[in-house]
Amino acid sequence: MSQFTEDELIAKVQDGYIVESPEEMTEGYKKALTVQLTVQADTELMSAPAYWMAARHAPSTNTQVSAHAIIQDELAHANIAYRLLEDLGESKEQLVYGRQPHEFKHPYGFDQPLDNWADMVVANGFFDRAGITLLSDVYENTSYGPLKRALVKVDMEETFHLRHGEVWMRRLANSGGEAREMLQRSVDWMFPMTIEWFGLPDEMKRHSGQLDYKLKGLTNDQLRQVWMASTVPLCEKLGLDAPAHWDEEKEEYVLDYPFPCQYVAEDKEWLFDEGEISWDTVFERWKGRGPMNEIYVESIQRSRSEVGGWLADQVAA
Amino acid sequence: MREIVYDVFARKDRGDSLAHIGYIDALDVETAKVYAWTTYDEQNWFEMCVVPRSAIIPVNRTDGPFARSGGEAGAATGGAS
Repeated sequence: MSQFTEDELIAKVQDGYIVESPEEMTEGYKKALTVQLTVQADTELMSAPAYWMAARHAPSTNTQVSAHAIIQDELAHANIAYRLLEDLGESKEQLVYGRQPHEFKHPYGFDQPLDNWADMVVANGFFDRAGITLLSDVYENTSYGPLKRALVKVDMEETFHLRHGEVWMRRLANSGGEAREMLQRSVDWMFPMTIEWFGLPDEMKRHSGQLDYKLKGLTNDQLRQVWMASTVPLCEKLGLDAPAHWDEEKEEYVLDYPFPCQYVAEDKEWLFDEGEISWDTVFERWKGRGPMNEIYVESIQRSRSEVGGWLADQVAA
Repeated sequence: MREIVYDVFARKDRGDSLAHIGYIDALDVETAKVYAWTTYDEQNWFEMCVVPRSAIIPVNRTDGPFARSGGEAGAATGGAS
């Protein structure tokens, strides 16, 4: 039981207090942190099978090595985040191996197939950029000490993934022809996918407590702007079409398509022409999960019970 | 498979302080060394060590992960937390 009331703890963390142990947490704080860490851990974990299957499309042994280095990083990040959850009383075993595919909390983007090398490098350029955007904000603002320290490593490595993505996006863009067209097709489905990733617009955002408890610093819309502020200029520099532009009057990036809108996963296509849809429809699509959800989760869970069974008798401690 | 917690300490260069950089779960000391080295590979560490959490004895805190791990009782045996 915390020595603080909810209001006392909120006032303290807003004033810079760093929480170091679960014993100091109120129920509300612990719940909000658990949700945040579960999303973070699941996202890192699901990126691994997505990248692993995409790494088959690597064009050289060198690029195979970098792709697998990225996968190794993502698994380590997931492991660290699940470990932090164990400190809060959750079970890593249950979270990784005991849940059904649809129960994981990663964004819909990591339920999608990465079908070629362009998809892989744009995932590094866009999805990992979203990861850095979200986690740098957490690093700078979080009131939970153990998470802040763990993120030093994570942020360092995510920056390498992003560089990998950007370097390869430039290479494919400069080579023109089919490579460039493939790259543009990846941008076409992955740009709106990442925009949606940041969630409900601020005007509709239900109260989550993450800002009150200082588990993050920026709102969804602010984070979306931070992501666009690096991604839109990158696309412009590479001569790629991105469906957003800088609005001089509003002094912010503005989307050139109805948001949110419907996505047809089988065709990897956004239905811009059908106009804006409700967020309830988006939540329904997210809840239904995407085409690779079961395949990715199965690839992680498949050998646990079998190999675990073999070892159970041998390992006493 | 029963794993225990090992805390990971490392220093980046000669002259740096040994710092707590994280922790991992492992079956035994040998796997703990491998997991620590591959999980925390963000730097080219000059030195890295792993310590079973139960061997860490809190001096002044009664809360937090080290206090929960069992403190002195575990340290005597280096046993599971």
